[in-house]
Amino acid sequence: MESWTFEAIGTAWQIDTQAPLAPEVRDLVADRIERFDRDWSRFRDDSFVSAVAREAGDRELPEDAESLFDFYTDLHEVTDGAVNPLVGRALSDLGYDAGYSLTPSATPTAPTSWSTIDWGGADAQRRLRTDEPMLIDVGAAGKGLLVDHVASILWAEGLRQATVDAGGDLYHCGTTPIRVALEHPHDPTKALGVVELEPEDALCGSATNRRAWGDGLHHVLDARTGRPTTDVVATWVLAPQSCMLADGLATAHFFAEPERLLERWHHQFVRMHADGRVVWSPDLQGEVFA
Amino acid sequence: MRLPKTRQILAATAAASALLMTAACGSDESSASDTASPAPAASDASDTAADDTAAAGDYADGTYEAEGSYTNPGGQSSVAVSLTLEDGTVTAVEVTPEASGTSLQYQQKFASGIADEVVGKALDEVSVSKVSGSSLTSGGFNAALEQIKSEAQA
Repeated sequence: MESWTFEAIGTAWQIDTQAPLAPEVRDLVADRIERFDRDWSRFRDDSFVSAVAREAGDRELPEDAESLFDFYTDLHEVTDGAVNPLVGRALSDLGYDAGYSLTPSATPTAPTSWSTIDWGGADAQRRLRTDEPMLIDVGAAGKGLLVDHVASILWAEGLRQATVDAGGDLYHCGTTPIRVALEHPHDPTKALGVVELEPEDALCGSATNRRAWGDGLHHVLDARTGRPTTDVVATWVLAPQSCMLADGLATAHFFAEPERLLERWHHQFVRMHADGRVVWSPDLQGEVFA
Repeated sequence: MRLPKTRQILAATAAASALLMTAACGSDESSASDTASPAPAASDASDTAADDTAAAGDYADGTYEAEGSYTNPGGQSSVAVSLTLEDGTVTAVEVTPEASGTSLQYQQKFASGIADEVVGKALDEVSVSKVSGSSLTSGGFNAALEQIKSEAQA
Protein backbone atom coordinates (compact mmCIF):
# COMPACT_ATOMS: atom_id res chain seq x y z
CA MET A 1 0.00 0.00 0.00
CA GLU A 2 1.17 3.50 -0.83
CA SER A 3 0.53 6.56 1.28
CA TRP A 4 0.67 10.18 0.25
CA THR A 5 0.80 12.51 3.23
CA PHE A 6 0.59 16.27 3.33
CA GLU A 7 -0.80 19.12 5.41
CA ALA A 8 -3.77 21.17 4.28
CA ILE A 9 -6.66 23.14 5.78
CA GLY A 10 -5.08 22.90 9.19
CA THR A 11 -4.75 19.16 9.43
CA ALA A 12 -2.62 16.21 8.37
CA TRP A 13 -3.85 14.27 5.35
CA GLN A 14 -3.04 10.76 4.26
CA ILE A 15 -4.28 9.12 1.09
CA ASP A 16 -3.71 5.37 0.88
CA THR A 17 -3.80 3.68 -2.51
CA GLN A 18 -2.51 0.43 -3.91
CA ALA A 19 -0.06 2.12 -6.26
CA PRO A 20 1.59 5.51 -5.89
CA LEU A 21 -0.67 8.33 -7.01
CA ALA A 22 0.29 9.79 -10.37
CA PRO A 23 1.55 13.38 -10.22
CA GLU A 24 -1.39 14.62 -12.27
CA VAL A 25 -3.84 13.04 -9.82
CA ARG A 26 -2.00 14.66 -6.94
CA ASP A 27 -2.30 17.98 -8.76
CA LEU A 28 -6.05 17.53 -9.15
CA VAL A 29 -6.37 16.82 -5.44
CA ALA A 30 -4.15 19.73 -4.47
CA ASP A 31 -6.06 22.10 -6.76
CA ARG A 32 -9.40 21.06 -5.30
CA ILE A 33 -8.16 21.58 -1.78
CA GLU A 34 -6.72 24.96 -2.72
CA ARG A 35 -10.03 26.06 -4.22
CA PHE A 36 -11.86 25.02 -1.08
CA ASP A 37 -9.34 26.78 1.12
CA ARG A 38 -9.57 29.98 -0.91
CA ASP A 39 -13.31 30.07 -0.37
CA TRP A 40 -13.69 28.83 3.18
CA SER A 41 -10.52 29.41 5.15
CA ARG A 42 -10.77 31.97 7.89
CA PHE A 43 -7.00 31.76 8.20
CA ARG A 44 -6.22 33.60 4.97
CA ASP A 45 -7.04 37.16 3.93
CA ASP A 46 -8.10 36.44 0.36
CA SER A 47 -10.89 33.99 1.13
CA PHE A 48 -14.61 34.49 0.72
CA VAL A 49 -14.98 33.98 4.45
CA SER A 50 -12.49 36.75 5.19
CA ALA A 51 -14.31 39.12 2.85
CA VAL A 52 -17.58 38.46 4.65
CA ALA A 53 -15.80 39.01 7.96
CA ARG A 54 -14.45 42.40 6.84
CA GLU A 55 -17.63 44.11 5.79
CA ALA A 56 -21.32 43.74 5.10
CA GLY A 57 -22.30 43.03 1.54
CA ASP A 58 -24.27 41.22 -1.08
CA ARG A 59 -22.13 38.45 -2.50
CA GLU A 60 -22.32 35.61 -4.92
CA LEU A 61 -22.04 32.30 -3.08
CA PRO A 62 -18.86 30.34 -3.68
CA GLU A 63 -18.70 26.73 -4.79
CA ASP A 64 -19.97 24.34 -2.09
CA ALA A 65 -21.94 27.06 -0.31
CA GLU A 66 -25.26 25.44 -1.05
CA SER A 67 -24.19 22.00 0.19
CA LEU A 68 -22.70 23.47 3.34
CA PHE A 69 -25.39 26.05 4.10
CA ASP A 70 -28.22 23.63 3.45
CA PHE A 71 -26.67 21.11 5.80
CA TYR A 72 -25.88 23.76 8.40
CA THR A 73 -29.49 24.87 8.25
CA ASP A 74 -30.55 21.33 9.17
CA LEU A 75 -27.92 21.03 11.88
CA HIS A 76 -28.87 24.41 13.32
CA GLU A 77 -32.48 23.32 13.54
CA VAL A 78 -31.90 19.87 15.00
CA THR A 79 -29.51 21.19 17.66
CA ASP A 80 -31.81 24.08 18.57
CA GLY A 81 -29.23 26.58 17.42
CA ALA A 82 -26.12 25.08 19.00
CA VAL A 83 -24.50 24.40 15.62
CA ASN A 84 -24.15 27.62 13.65
CA PRO A 85 -21.50 28.54 11.08
CA LEU A 86 -21.42 32.08 12.43
CA VAL A 87 -19.63 30.80 15.51
CA GLY A 88 -16.35 31.83 13.89
CA ARG A 89 -16.27 35.18 15.71
CA ALA A 90 -16.60 33.50 19.10
CA LEU A 91 -13.85 31.03 18.19
CA SER A 92 -11.66 33.90 17.19
CA ASP A 93 -12.46 35.88 20.34
CA LEU A 94 -11.48 32.86 22.41
CA GLY A 95 -8.08 32.80 20.73
CA TYR A 96 -8.58 30.37 17.86
CA ASP A 97 -8.00 33.19 15.42
CA ALA A 98 -6.32 33.63 12.07
CA GLY A 99 -3.01 34.32 13.78
CA TYR A 100 -3.31 31.37 16.18
CA SER A 101 -2.93 33.78 19.09
CA LEU A 102 -4.55 31.15 21.34
CA THR A 103 -5.19 34.00 23.72
CA PRO A 104 -8.73 35.14 24.43
CA SER A 105 -9.14 38.69 23.16
CA ALA A 106 -12.77 39.32 24.02
CA THR A 107 -15.60 37.73 25.89
CA PRO A 108 -17.28 35.50 23.34
CA THR A 109 -20.92 36.11 22.61
CA ALA A 110 -23.59 34.03 20.93
CA PRO A 111 -23.64 34.77 17.20
CA THR A 112 -26.67 35.82 15.23
CA SER A 113 -29.03 32.91 14.68
CA TRP A 114 -28.26 31.20 11.40
CA SER A 115 -31.98 31.06 10.65
CA THR A 116 -32.06 34.85 10.23
CA ILE A 117 -29.32 34.91 7.60
CA ASP A 118 -30.34 35.72 4.05
CA TRP A 119 -28.55 33.41 1.67
CA GLY A 120 -31.36 32.62 -0.72
CA GLY A 121 -32.43 29.40 0.91
CA ALA A 122 -34.37 27.39 -1.63
CA ASP A 123 -34.46 30.26 -4.12
CA ALA A 124 -32.82 29.87 -7.46
CA GLN A 125 -30.72 32.95 -7.02
CA ARG A 126 -28.52 32.33 -4.08
CA ARG A 127 -26.45 35.15 -2.68
CA LEU A 128 -25.27 35.92 0.80
CA ARG A 129 -26.55 39.26 2.04
CA THR A 130 -25.15 40.48 5.32
CA ASP A 131 -25.67 43.82 6.99
CA GLU A 132 -22.70 43.55 9.28
CA PRO A 133 -19.35 41.73 9.27
CA MET A 134 -19.74 38.05 10.17
CA LEU A 135 -17.14 35.38 10.68
CA ILE A 136 -18.17 32.10 9.12
CA ASP A 137 -16.53 28.91 10.31
CA VAL A 138 -17.50 25.78 8.42
CA GLY A 139 -15.41 23.59 10.68
CA ALA A 140 -18.31 21.32 11.54
CA ALA A 141 -18.82 20.02 8.02
CA GLY A 142 -16.34 21.56 5.63
CA LYS A 143 -13.53 19.11 6.13
CA GLY A 144 -15.87 16.19 5.58
CA LEU A 145 -17.15 17.73 2.37
CA LEU A 146 -13.61 18.22 1.14
CA VAL A 147 -12.81 14.59 1.92
CA ASP A 148 -15.82 13.64 -0.21
CA HIS A 149 -14.51 15.78 -3.05
CA VAL A 150 -11.07 14.20 -2.88
CA ALA A 151 -12.56 10.70 -2.81
CA SER A 152 -14.65 11.61 -5.87
CA ILE A 153 -11.56 12.76 -7.75
CA LEU A 154 -9.80 9.50 -7.01
CA TRP A 155 -12.83 7.54 -8.16
CA ALA A 156 -13.11 9.58 -11.34
CA GLU A 157 -9.45 8.87 -12.01
CA GLY A 158 -10.18 5.16 -11.90
CA LEU A 159 -8.81 4.43 -8.45
CA ARG A 160 -11.05 1.83 -6.87
CA GLN A 161 -9.02 1.15 -3.76
CA ALA A 162 -8.38 4.26 -1.74
CA THR A 163 -8.75 5.59 1.76
CA VAL A 164 -8.80 9.34 2.28
CA ASP A 165 -7.88 10.41 5.80
CA ALA A 166 -7.96 14.06 6.80
CA GLY A 167 -6.75 14.01 10.38
CA GLY A 168 -8.95 11.07 11.32
CA ASP A 169 -11.92 11.97 9.15
CA LEU A 170 -12.13 9.09 6.72
CA TYR A 171 -13.69 8.04 3.48
CA HIS A 172 -12.99 4.49 2.43
CA CYS A 173 -13.35 3.10 -1.09
CA GLY A 174 -12.43 -0.38 -2.12
CA THR A 175 -13.49 -3.98 -1.96
CA THR A 176 -12.63 -4.88 1.61
CA PRO A 177 -13.46 -3.19 4.90
CA ILE A 178 -10.87 -1.56 7.14
CA ARG A 179 -10.76 -1.51 10.90
CA VAL A 180 -10.40 1.84 12.61
CA ALA A 181 -9.58 2.45 16.25
CA LEU A 182 -11.48 5.14 18.14
CA GLU A 183 -8.82 7.05 20.00
CA HIS A 184 -9.47 7.33 23.73
CA PRO A 185 -9.86 11.04 24.39
CA HIS A 186 -8.04 10.79 27.70
CA ASP A 187 -5.27 8.51 26.53
CA PRO A 188 -4.11 8.56 22.91
CA THR A 189 -2.28 5.26 23.38
CA LYS A 190 -5.60 3.52 23.88
CA ALA A 191 -8.59 2.66 21.78
CA LEU A 192 -12.04 3.22 23.17
CA GLY A 193 -13.34 0.85 20.56
CA VAL A 194 -12.98 -0.32 17.00
CA VAL A 195 -15.28 0.16 14.07
CA GLU A 196 -15.26 -1.53 10.72
CA LEU A 197 -15.60 0.72 7.70
CA GLU A 198 -17.19 -0.95 4.74
CA PRO A 199 -16.42 0.37 1.27
CA GLU A 200 -18.15 3.73 0.75
CA ASP A 201 -18.44 4.37 4.47
CA ALA A 202 -17.23 7.58 6.04
CA LEU A 203 -16.14 8.06 9.63
CA CYS A 204 -15.52 11.30 11.48
CA GLY A 205 -14.42 11.91 15.01
CA SER A 206 -14.45 15.04 17.05
CA ALA A 207 -13.07 15.59 20.52
CA THR A 208 -12.34 18.49 22.77
CA ASN A 209 -8.90 17.30 23.84
CA ARG A 210 -6.72 18.29 20.93
CA ARG A 211 -7.85 21.58 19.48
CA ALA A 212 -7.64 22.93 22.97
CA TRP A 213 -5.48 25.78 24.17
CA GLY A 214 -6.28 26.64 27.74
CA ASP A 215 -8.45 26.00 30.73
CA GLY A 216 -11.77 24.87 29.30
CA LEU A 217 -10.91 26.38 25.92
CA HIS A 218 -11.47 24.13 22.92
CA HIS A 219 -12.96 24.36 19.47
CA VAL A 220 -16.42 22.86 19.96
CA LEU A 221 -18.55 25.87 20.79
CA ASP A 222 -22.20 26.04 21.65
CA ALA A 223 -23.44 28.85 19.42
CA ARG A 224 -26.23 29.59 21.86
CA THR A 225 -23.64 30.87 24.32
CA GLY A 226 -20.51 31.33 22.23
CA ARG A 227 -18.62 29.21 24.74
CA PRO A 228 -17.03 25.76 24.62
CA THR A 229 -19.45 22.97 25.36
CA THR A 230 -18.86 20.75 28.37
CA ASP A 231 -21.25 17.80 28.50
CA VAL A 232 -19.85 15.65 25.70
CA VAL A 233 -16.10 15.31 25.20
CA ALA A 234 -15.79 13.08 22.15
CA THR A 235 -17.99 11.81 19.34
CA TRP A 236 -17.65 9.58 16.31
CA VAL A 237 -20.10 9.14 13.50
CA LEU A 238 -20.10 6.52 10.78
CA ALA A 239 -22.26 7.41 7.78
CA PRO A 240 -22.61 5.71 4.46
CA GLN A 241 -21.35 7.60 1.42
CA SER A 242 -20.92 11.04 2.93
CA CYS A 243 -18.04 12.31 5.00
CA MET A 244 -19.77 15.69 5.20
CA LEU A 245 -22.73 14.04 6.88
CA ALA A 246 -20.46 12.13 9.26
CA ASP A 247 -18.53 15.31 10.06
CA GLY A 248 -21.57 17.45 10.76
CA LEU A 249 -23.30 14.79 12.80
CA ALA A 250 -20.15 14.27 14.86
CA THR A 251 -20.53 17.91 15.91
CA ALA A 252 -24.30 17.63 16.33
CA HIS A 253 -23.81 14.74 18.76
CA PHE A 254 -22.21 17.18 21.19
CA PHE A 255 -25.55 18.93 21.47
CA ALA A 256 -28.54 16.88 20.36
CA GLU A 257 -30.06 13.74 21.78
CA PRO A 258 -29.07 10.68 19.73
CA GLU A 259 -32.71 9.77 19.13
CA ARG A 260 -33.35 13.03 17.39
CA LEU A 261 -30.37 12.63 15.08
CA LEU A 262 -31.03 8.95 14.39
CA GLU A 263 -34.58 9.68 13.40
CA ARG A 264 -33.38 12.18 10.85
CA TRP A 265 -30.20 10.68 9.40
CA HIS A 266 -29.05 7.14 8.84
CA HIS A 267 -25.79 6.82 10.75
CA GLN A 268 -24.05 5.15 13.67
CA PHE A 269 -22.43 6.95 16.54
CA VAL A 270 -20.26 6.65 19.64
CA ARG A 271 -20.11 9.47 22.14
CA MET A 272 -18.31 9.98 25.39
CA HIS A 273 -19.58 12.31 28.09
CA ALA A 274 -17.50 14.36 30.48
CA ASP A 275 -18.41 12.03 33.34
CA GLY A 276 -16.85 9.09 31.48
CA ARG A 277 -20.10 7.61 30.30
CA VAL A 278 -19.99 6.22 26.77
CA VAL A 279 -23.10 5.75 24.65
CA TRP A 280 -23.23 4.16 21.23
CA SER A 281 -25.54 2.99 18.49
CA PRO A 282 -27.08 -0.39 19.08
CA ASP A 283 -26.24 -1.38 15.51
CA LEU A 284 -22.64 -0.16 15.60
CA GLN A 285 -20.41 -1.87 13.04
CA GLY A 286 -17.82 -2.52 15.64
CA GLU A 287 -17.18 -2.74 19.32
CA VAL A 288 -16.79 -0.43 22.27
CA PHE A 289 -14.47 -1.90 24.87
CA ALA A 290 -16.87 -1.57 27.77
CA MET B 1 -68.47 11.65 14.62
CA ARG B 2 -68.21 7.92 14.92
CA LEU B 3 -64.77 6.52 15.23
CA PRO B 4 -64.86 2.91 14.12
CA LYS B 5 -62.26 0.56 15.42
CA THR B 6 -58.85 0.88 13.97
CA ARG B 7 -58.82 -2.57 12.52
CA GLN B 8 -62.05 -2.00 10.70
CA ILE B 9 -60.84 1.13 9.07
CA LEU B 10 -57.66 -0.50 8.02
CA ALA B 11 -59.36 -3.64 6.78
CA ALA B 12 -61.65 -1.52 4.70
CA THR B 13 -58.89 0.30 2.92
CA ALA B 14 -56.40 -1.51 0.84
CA ALA B 15 -54.69 1.79 0.26
CA ALA B 16 -53.92 2.19 3.92
CA SER B 17 -52.57 -1.33 4.12
CA ALA B 18 -50.30 -0.78 1.17
CA LEU B 19 -49.03 2.40 2.73
CA LEU B 20 -48.50 0.65 6.00
CA MET B 21 -46.22 -1.78 4.26
CA THR B 22 -44.24 1.09 2.94
CA ALA B 23 -44.05 2.77 6.28
CA ALA B 24 -42.76 -0.42 7.79
CA CYS B 25 -39.83 -0.37 5.35
CA GLY B 26 -40.93 -3.75 4.07
CA SER B 27 -39.14 -5.25 7.00
CA ASP B 28 -41.94 -7.60 7.85
CA GLU B 29 -44.15 -9.13 5.23
CA SER B 30 -46.91 -9.71 7.71
CA SER B 31 -47.11 -6.17 9.00
CA ALA B 32 -50.07 -5.06 6.91
CA SER B 33 -52.09 -8.20 7.36
CA ASP B 34 -51.37 -8.27 11.05
CA THR B 35 -52.62 -4.77 11.41
CA ALA B 36 -55.76 -5.49 9.48
CA SER B 37 -56.50 -8.92 10.90
CA PRO B 38 -59.35 -9.64 13.30
CA ALA B 39 -56.87 -10.29 16.05
CA PRO B 40 -55.87 -6.68 16.41
CA ALA B 41 -52.22 -5.83 16.47
CA ALA B 42 -53.26 -2.24 16.22
CA SER B 43 -53.15 -0.31 19.42
CA ASP B 44 -56.02 1.84 20.44
CA ALA B 45 -54.56 5.27 20.93
CA SER B 46 -57.44 6.93 19.12
CA ASP B 47 -59.96 4.20 19.67
CA THR B 48 -62.07 6.37 21.89
CA ALA B 49 -65.52 5.86 20.44
CA ALA B 50 -65.55 2.41 18.99
CA ASP B 51 -68.70 1.29 17.32
CA ASP B 52 -68.82 -2.46 17.00
CA THR B 53 -71.97 -2.42 15.01
CA ALA B 54 -70.46 -0.62 12.09
CA ALA B 55 -70.09 -2.95 9.15
CA ALA B 56 -67.18 -2.67 6.78
CA GLY B 57 -67.86 -0.06 4.15
CA ASP B 58 -70.49 1.67 6.24
CA TYR B 59 -68.70 4.69 7.63
CA ALA B 60 -69.65 8.26 8.12
CA ASP B 61 -67.73 10.89 6.24
CA GLY B 62 -64.88 12.49 8.11
CA THR B 63 -61.26 12.11 9.05
CA TYR B 64 -60.31 9.07 11.07
CA GLU B 65 -57.12 8.72 13.00
CA ALA B 66 -55.59 5.57 14.33
CA GLU B 67 -52.35 4.10 15.39
CA GLY B 68 -51.08 0.82 14.04
CA SER B 69 -48.27 -1.24 15.38
CA TYR B 70 -46.23 -3.89 13.72
CA THR B 71 -43.44 -6.19 14.65
CA ASN B 72 -40.13 -5.85 12.96
CA PRO B 73 -36.83 -7.55 13.74
CA GLY B 74 -36.01 -4.75 16.17
CA GLY B 75 -39.24 -4.98 18.13
CA GLN B 76 -42.55 -3.13 18.03
CA SER B 77 -42.95 0.01 15.99
CA SER B 78 -45.91 2.24 15.37
CA VAL B 79 -47.33 4.33 12.61
CA ALA B 80 -50.09 6.87 12.81
CA VAL B 81 -52.71 6.68 10.11
CA SER B 82 -55.01 9.50 9.18
CA LEU B 83 -57.66 8.80 6.59
CA THR B 84 -60.43 10.88 5.13
CA LEU B 85 -63.71 9.40 3.92
CA GLU B 86 -66.20 11.09 1.62
CA ASP B 87 -69.28 9.24 0.46
CA GLY B 88 -67.71 5.96 1.53
CA THR B 89 -64.60 6.63 -0.52
CA VAL B 90 -61.15 7.21 0.87
CA THR B 91 -60.04 10.60 -0.37
CA ALA B 92 -56.87 11.03 1.66
CA VAL B 93 -54.55 8.77 3.59
CA GLU B 94 -51.59 9.92 5.60
CA VAL B 95 -49.25 7.50 7.28
CA THR B 96 -46.69 8.84 9.71
CA PRO B 97 -44.06 6.70 11.36
CA GLU B 98 -44.26 7.59 15.02
CA ALA B 99 -41.29 8.88 16.91
CA SER B 100 -42.39 7.01 19.99
CA GLY B 101 -42.24 3.73 18.12
CA THR B 102 -38.83 4.44 16.73
CA SER B 103 -37.63 5.64 20.08
CA LEU B 104 -39.07 2.68 21.88
CA GLN B 105 -37.38 0.29 19.53
CA TYR B 106 -34.26 2.32 19.86
CA GLN B 107 -34.48 2.34 23.63
CA GLN B 108 -35.06 -1.40 23.80
CA LYS B 109 -31.86 -1.98 21.94
CA PHE B 110 -30.17 0.94 23.57
CA ALA B 111 -29.54 -0.79 26.88
CA SER B 112 -26.58 -2.57 25.36
CA GLY B 113 -25.09 0.65 24.07
CA ILE B 114 -24.14 2.41 27.26
CA ALA B 115 -21.28 2.07 29.69
CA ASP B 116 -20.43 4.15 32.74
CA GLU B 117 -16.78 3.98 31.97
CA VAL B 118 -14.67 2.63 29.17
CA VAL B 119 -11.07 1.90 29.98
CA GLY B 120 -10.17 0.96 26.43
CA LYS B 121 -7.50 -1.28 25.04
CA ALA B 122 -3.93 -0.49 24.13
CA LEU B 123 -3.74 0.50 20.49
CA ASP B 124 -1.18 -2.20 19.76
CA GLU B 125 -3.57 -4.84 21.06
CA VAL B 126 -6.21 -4.01 18.50
CA SER B 127 -5.50 -4.77 14.90
CA VAL B 128 -6.42 -1.65 13.00
CA SER B 129 -5.20 0.23 9.99
CA LYS B 130 -6.39 3.67 11.09
CA VAL B 131 -7.02 5.73 14.19
CA SER B 132 -9.77 8.30 14.44
CA GLY B 133 -9.99 10.78 17.24
CA SER B 134 -10.05 14.49 17.53
CA SER B 135 -8.72 15.82 14.27
CA LEU B 136 -4.98 16.03 14.18
CA THR B 137 -3.88 19.60 14.19
CA SER B 138 -1.49 21.23 11.80
CA GLY B 139 2.01 22.46 12.45
CA GLY B 140 0.76 26.03 12.79
CA PHE B 141 -1.64 25.27 15.60
CA ASN B 142 0.82 23.00 17.37
CA ALA B 143 3.65 25.51 17.16
CA ALA B 144 1.42 28.23 18.52
CA LEU B 145 0.29 25.98 21.33
CA GLU B 146 3.87 25.15 22.28
CA GLN B 147 4.70 28.85 22.33
CA ILE B 148 1.77 29.62 24.59
CA LYS B 149 2.81 26.84 26.95
CA SER B 150 6.39 28.00 27.16
CA GLU B 151 5.32 31.60 27.74
CA ALA B 152 3.00 30.42 30.47
CA GLN B 153 5.88 28.65 32.18
CA ALA B 154 8.27 31.56 31.82
